[in-house]
Amino acid sequence: MMTDASGHSLQRRLLVSMAAGFAVFLVLMSILLWTYSRAAADRTHDLPLAGAALAILERISVGPDGATVDLPNSAMDILSLNPVDRVQYRVFVPGQREITGTADLPVPADATPSASPVFYDADYQGAAFRFVLQGRPFISPDGRQWVAVQVGQTVESRTTQQLFFFAAGLAGLAVLSLIGLGFVWVAIRTSLSPLRQIAHDLAQREPADLALVEGSPPREVRNLFDAINGFITRLRRSRALTETFIADVAHQTRTSLSALQGHLSLAADAEDPGQMRSRLVKAERQAAHTVRLTNQLLANAMVIHRSDRTSLRPLALKPLVRDTLAESLRESRMRDISLSFVGDEIGAGEDIIEGDTLSIREALRNLIENAVRHGPPDNTITITLNGTEQSVRLSVEDAGPGIADADLPKATERFTSLSDKTKGSGLGLSIVKAVAQGHSADMRLGRSSLGGLEVTLIFRRIVPILLLVSGAVFAGDTGAAQTLVIHSATDTPAMQPLIDAFEVRNPGVDVAYVEFQTVALHQSMLRPETIGKPDLVISSAMDLQVNLVNRGLARRIRLAPGIAPPPWASWRSELFGFTFEPAIVVYDKRAISKRELPTSHRDLATFVRENEERFRGRIGSYNIRDSGVGYLYATQDSLQGPQALRLFEILGRTGMKTYCCTSDMVAATARGELAFAFNIIGTYAASLAETSPHLGLHFFEDYNLVMSRTAFVPKDAKNPDLAAAFIGFLLSEDGQRIILKDTPLLPLTPAPEPTSSFERQIRDQRGAFLPIRLTPGLLTYLDDLKRREFLSAWETSLRRDRRSSSSLLEPSAR
Amino acid sequence: MLLVEDNDDLAETIVDRLRAEGHSVDREKDGDDANELLRHFKFDIVLLDLNLPGRSGYEVLRALRAREDDTPVIVLTARSQIDDKVIGLDAGADDYMIKPVDFRELSARCRVLSRRRAGRSSNVFSAGPFVFDRAAKRATIHGQDTQMRAREIQLLEIMIDNMGRMLTKEDVADRLYTFEEAPSLNAVEQLVTRLRRKLEGTPLVIKTARGLGYMAYLADDD
Repeated sequence: MMTDASGHSLQRRLLVSMAAGFAVFLVLMSILLWTYSRAAADRTHDLPLAGAALAILERISVGPDGATVDLPNSAMDILSLNPVDRVQYRVFVPGQREITGTADLPVPADATPSASPVFYDADYQGAAFRFVLQGRPFISPDGRQWVAVQVGQTVESRTTQQLFFFAAGLAGLAVLSLIGLGFVWVAIRTSLSPLRQIAHDLAQREPADLALVEGSPPREVRNLFDAINGFITRLRRSRALTETFIADVAHQTRTSLSALQGHLSLAADAEDPGQMRSRLVKAERQAAHTVRLTNQLLANAMVIHRSDRTSLRPLALKPLVRDTLAESLRESRMRDISLSFVGDEIGAGEDIIEGDTLSIREALRNLIENAVRHGPPDNTITITLNGTEQSVRLSVEDAGPGIADADLPKATERFTSLSDKTKGSGLGLSIVKAVAQGHSADMRLGRSSLGGLEVTLIFRRIVPILLLVSGAVFAGDTGAAQTLVIHSATDTPAMQPLIDAFEVRNPGVDVAYVEFQTVALHQSMLRPETIGKPDLVISSAMDLQVNLVNRGLARRIRLAPGIAPPPWASWRSELFGFTFEPAIVVYDKRAISKRELPTSHRDLATFVRENEERFRGRIGSYNIRDSGVGYLYATQDSLQGPQALRLFEILGRTGMKTYCCTSDMVAATARGELAFAFNIIGTYAASLAETSPHLGLHFFEDYNLVMSRTAFVPKDAKNPDLAAAFIGFLLSEDGQRIILKDTPLLPLTPAPEPTSSFERQIRDQRGAFLPIRLTPGLLTYLDDLKRREFLSAWETSLRRDRRSSSSLLEPSAR
Repeated sequence: MLLVEDNDDLAETIVDRLRAEGHSVDREKDGDDANELLRHFKFDIVLLDLNLPGRSGYEVLRALRAREDDTPVIVLTARSQIDDKVIGLDAGADDYMIKPVDFRELSARCRVLSRRRAGRSSNVFSAGPFVFDRAAKRATIHGQDTQMRAREIQLLEIMIDNMGRMLTKEDVADRLYTFEEAPSLNAVEQLVTRLRRKLEGTPLVIKTARGLGYMAYLADDD
């Protein structure tokens, strides 16, 4: 017999317990590691926060109205070093008033103004933030006063870094653990080698070699060693017993056959027919005995052979007993026997056991045979089958003389016939016993209430298990038409080719396109109840879009592999730019010759100053208070150096006209009202200029700002997947090609073969483009204070009257 | 009768024994020969060994039954494997015996089979003083009518047809009553008791094994 393959391995056990130990170690270490990596990630991310707070603190000054701040762009730039997280800030006088920023940022209850930074985690608008709070004392007319700066960032990058630290640390530990386990494995193998030696010794043996295993095993396996040798000793004894059994069988059969032969030869030699007859009768009886002996020996051998557990199958005992009884009743010597079967107590399915049909049949037959042989010819035999929860009892009892209580233990031994008179072979009950053992059944001998022997076999019952398979119900897609709602600050005709193409590629999809001005769109997103919820928001005002995304209004999008906009044109996988729109100068060729056009912004200022009278009232640009794009261009220009404000002043002196939109400026230039307009959206201008050949497009050589139209999917979009598909389409090769061919816009990816002069110009100026990056840095000039300051500086430069224009737009609208 | 047995000594003793009892016995050694013989001649009973040269006894039996020949067959086998027996019975054997065969038992089984066959094929079944006329639906003992009712006659017929075979109470009920009559097992019991009383003094015995069923046999078989 082979060992059960599923049995446990010592080696595996040791390894598993060692591995469990290592696992506990790893868990403990990982708790430590988690805390450590959190602290490390916090340290790394607190630095830029502290830097930003410091930068803001430095720009706090005390004016006549108390403390005020000129939000530095550097603060946002520092925070933009972290490319994924959203930003919040707040400058306030604790307990008194807000200066600027988001007023409702959480502050710890026990916070006191302090000149050293205080870092803490807090939730704001459903997202986890890390904040720094730092103050600075000022002497104001009311006495000493603290001004506090609070800067916060979402913790996505920190969490990622913490996970990275943690994973890296854990991976190292895991490798160490594996190496440790490897050593354990080697150690186990080494210490188990004596066992392998024993195995080798035993495997090499001849079956007959029952010598003890030699060797001096280590103390730990001494017990096993002794047990094996003990077993070998018992095996020797058992084999001796088997040899005795064979000898017994040989003896029994030979004796029986000799007696038969003796009777027959005597009969053959007998001269008297009467004598011969009596010898033959004896011979016949002897033959019957021999036949029975042989049958039972064979049955015994068969039962022992089949006691191997592999021959056991689930079987119903009741029909088996019933059939066996019906069969044995057909024998003519059973005619006077009164046999009954009591099996009504046990129902169908309650009589299932693991058993071997042949063996059980043989046992039952032998029990009946015993009762018939050892009892009177009209014996009463009752077979009872009943069961309990765990077992099935089969008992056979008879009214015969039975066995004396004292003889019961001997009854099941081989070749022990307790009665000479009935010529038992002494094998019947030992067969039953072997069957019981083969079935792990309990065998009990007792006195029957009928007067004779009662033999009971108690089998273990198998309880059938019902498997309930529950079917899953799948609901199919409804397949109804979907509507993608786009709120956009882009001319409908410019977007229409893209919308049409998207609808063609997605049958059943309907695009509802609603056009807005940039500022109105931004406001509607802050008050969604007024306009309804779009699935997609598209705007050319990059700063306003960053502001919305920074408020946590956007949903993360997973773009198809292969679609990757340049890093400056995407932020947080939430906001994506899809066009390339340089700010350019459009000029009237009749008013300015190409040669005298300035090549840089500095030259532009000089050029205008030198030709102040020539250009009076003939220069146009955006009204940056009304136009989001204009404000964006102007603020970005101001970041490029102090010449921007100088330029505004000079332009102001010439009486620069301001416009709401690129189209108006191009039209005015075309009409000859303007000599040139600058910082206008090049793509629009180029397509508008196509009809007016006297219009020229001009690029600077120092830098040309590039704006990108951006799109994001709001968190509460109804069809976010469809909206994401639209963004994917805009950025795909297909979408970019349509932007190039069918719209006045330019794609992010430059066309391989420029088809228009504008495209050619762009190709030639490649190096001088300065794309506006999608980062929290764009938030600086959206700060209320900062914006007010900037607009007032701009208006002052243009010598505009503040009061007349302040009604145009509430500051809070931006 | 036909005995198909390849061992000459065993065959000789069986043939001699059966002839001594007054039967005419043919013997075949080979499965193929036996098959040929059975194709052309009718026997009352066939004693068939399973281990045969040529065609196996099992194949002979199957071929026989495939020809819709219902000659009673007793299978003789030296194997104690029950599977063989089941196959033998499934293939249409009427009975089986395991070697070494007790001659008295063999004779008894042969008699039961021939009785069963005779009871079915002829209209008159007689055993000692008992005579049952199937056509007239009348049973007599020493010429005296037993005054059996229709149901008793029916039961008697069933028991004679299945002589030597254990019938469960349910088997009997199924054969006695139509589906609509909703047989009660108690009624069967009472009917058997009544029939047994009317058969007293005849060699025809209906044995009851409690919990198992009923079996008819002839007491003078031994």
